[in-house]
Amino acid sequence: MDGRAVYSIAKKEFLDNWRNKWIIAMAAIFLVLTLVISYAGASLGGGSGWQDVGGTIAGMMTIVTFLIPIIGLMLGYSAIVGEKESGSLQLLLSYPVHRYEILLGKFFGLSSVLAFASLIGFGVSGVVIGLNVSGMQWGQYGVFIGASFLIGFAYIALSLCFSAVLQKRSTALGVSVLLWFLFAVIWDTILLVALVATENIDLSPGAEFVAPTWYHVAALANPSTAYQTLVAVNIGPVSANIAGDLPSFYSTPVTLIVLLAWTIVPLLAAYIVFRKKDI
Amino acid sequence: MGIIDIKGLVKRYNGTPAVNEVSMEIEQGEVFALLGPNGAGKTTTIKAMLGLLTPTAGAISIGGYDLEGQGKMARRQVGYLPEKVAFYDNLTGRQTMAFYAELRDADVSQGEALLDMVGLGGDMDKKVGAYSKGMVQRLGLAQAMIGDPPILVLDEPTSGLDPRGSWQIRQKIKKLNEQGTTIFISSHILSEVQAVSHRVAILHHGDLMALDTLDNLSERLDLQPVLKIQVREPSGEMAEQVRQVDGVSNVRLAGNTIEVRCTTEAKPHIVNALEAAGGDIVDFTTEEPSLEEVFLRFTED
Repeated sequence: MDGRAVYSIAKKEFLDNWRNKWIIAMAAIFLVLTLVISYAGASLGGGSGWQDVGGTIAGMMTIVTFLIPIIGLMLGYSAIVGEKESGSLQLLLSYPVHRYEILLGKFFGLSSVLAFASLIGFGVSGVVIGLNVSGMQWGQYGVFIGASFLIGFAYIALSLCFSAVLQKRSTALGVSVLLWFLFAVIWDTILLVALVATENIDLSPGAEFVAPTWYHVAALANPSTAYQTLVAVNIGPVSANIAGDLPSFYSTPVTLIVLLAWTIVPLLAAYIVFRKKDI
Repeated sequence: MGIIDIKGLVKRYNGTPAVNEVSMEIEQGEVFALLGPNGAGKTTTIKAMLGLLTPTAGAISIGGYDLEGQGKMARRQVGYLPEKVAFYDNLTGRQTMAFYAELRDADVSQGEALLDMVGLGGDMDKKVGAYSKGMVQRLGLAQAMIGDPPILVLDEPTSGLDPRGSWQIRQKIKKLNEQGTTIFISSHILSEVQAVSHRVAILHHGDLMALDTLDNLSERLDLQPVLKIQVREPSGEMAEQVRQVDGVSNVRLAGNTIEVRCTTEAKPHIVNALEAAGGDIVDFTTEEPSLEEVFLRFTED
C-alpha cells in the first residue's frame, strides 16, 4: 500500500468537503447547540463540580447522537457514487492508485472533516464548562469527544459503503436516510414490539423492566446505543441518567467492539464490491 | 509486442457483446487512432485498456505490465483524457494539478508549468467550478501530461474547443509525438485524425473491421487519388495520352479539367505525358482518398 496515495486522496477529500456549504452549516448548528447546552448546564444549572456536569454531558450526548450520524452520512453518501456520476472517478481510476487506497483515503479525509467540524463545538463548549466548573476532568471530557468521533466514523464508513456499492447518488442518499431512521428512530421500538410479542413482559409504569439477554444484545447492536452506553459507563455522573440496571456485558470493551465493527465491516464490504466494479 | 497489447478483448453486458474479440498492438512512438460509429465499442475498449472495467475475456498489457495483475505499474505509464472530463468544483486549478501530480509522483511545479502551457496560467487560483467548458478541457489535457507519461490516451480531445483550441491540441499532439510519446486517440473528427495518425483501427458493432495505415487501407479498398488538371485547351488526344500511362485507371474530361484516377507513382508520368501531348497546365490539384471514404466503406451495415 502506498501511504502517499492514501494521504493525497485524504487531503483532497478534506479540502473538497471543508468548503461544502452543507458541512459548514452543520458544523455551525452543532456549535450553537452544544454551546447552548453547555452554558445552560454548566453556568446556569445548580452545582459547580464535575459531578454535577453529568446532565450537561448527557445533553451534549443527545445532540451528538442526533447530529453527528447525520453529518457522517452526508459526508460519505456521495463520496464514490457522486464522483462516478460527475465523471471525476473515471479519471481518478486511470491513475496509478489501487481502489482500496481510494476507499481508505476518502475514509480518512472525511473522518478528518467530521473530527474538525465537531471539535469546534466541543472546544468552545469545553471552554464554557471549564470556566464554570471546578475540578473539571479533562480526561473524561476527552473520552466523551473520542467516543463521539467513533460514532461519526462508523456512519461515515456505512455511507461510504453505500456510495461504493450502489449505482446512483439518489439511491445512496435514500438508503443512508433509511439507515439513520432505522437506528436513530425506530430500532428500540422494533425491539420492544418483538419483546412484547415473544415474552411476557410487564410494561406498566412502576413495574421493574426485566428483559431477556437477546433484547439487550440486539439493543447494543445499534451503533448509536453502543455509543451512548460507552459514554455512560465511562463518565461517572452521566450513568445515573441512563435508566434501569445495565447488563454486565454493557462495558467499554464490548461497546468499542460494536463501534469498530460498524466501521470496519462496511469498509471491507465496500472494498469487496468496489474492486471489481465496472465504472 | 507493442507498448499497448490488447489480445482477444471481449466485453459482454448481459450476454450482448459490446466488444467482440478485438486484438490490437500499438507500437511505441506511433499516433494510433481508434474510430467507429457511436456504440461501436470505442469507449468500452478504452475503459478496458485503463482498468476501469473488467473484461469478459482477453488480456491487456501496457509497457509489458499486465493490466489485471500489475494494474498500478501499467497505469503509471498512461496519461488519460476522458471524453467528458470532470474535476472537483471546490478545488482551484492549481490545487487540482497538485493533487494529480502527487498521485503520479511528479513535481508540483510541473503542474503549474503545464497550466501556463495550456493557457490557464491566469486562472489557476480560480475554482474549477467556475471554469468554462473549454477551460475544463484544457485542464484535462494538462492533467494527462503531468509526470510526462510515455503514453497518452485521448478520447475526443478537441471536444468543446473552438477552432484555435483544436488547432493548438493538434500541434501539441504532433510535438509530443516528435518527442517520443505514444498517442492513442479516439475521435469523430476524421479530418483531424487523418492529419496526425500513423495507423487507424475501425470498430463497428464491437468488431474490429480494419487496422492499418490509411494508405494501405485505401489500397485495399481500391481507393485511388484523383488528379484534377486544368488545361488551357483540352483535347481528346491529351486524354488518350494520359490514359496510356502506367497506373492510370480512369480519365475523364470535365470542361477544361482532366480528371485522372491513378496510383500515387503514376502522378509525375501523367504530367509528362500531358505536356508531351501539347497540354498547357494552368492548375493542378490532387484529391487523396479520405479517411472518411475508408471509414464509410468499413462501417457499412
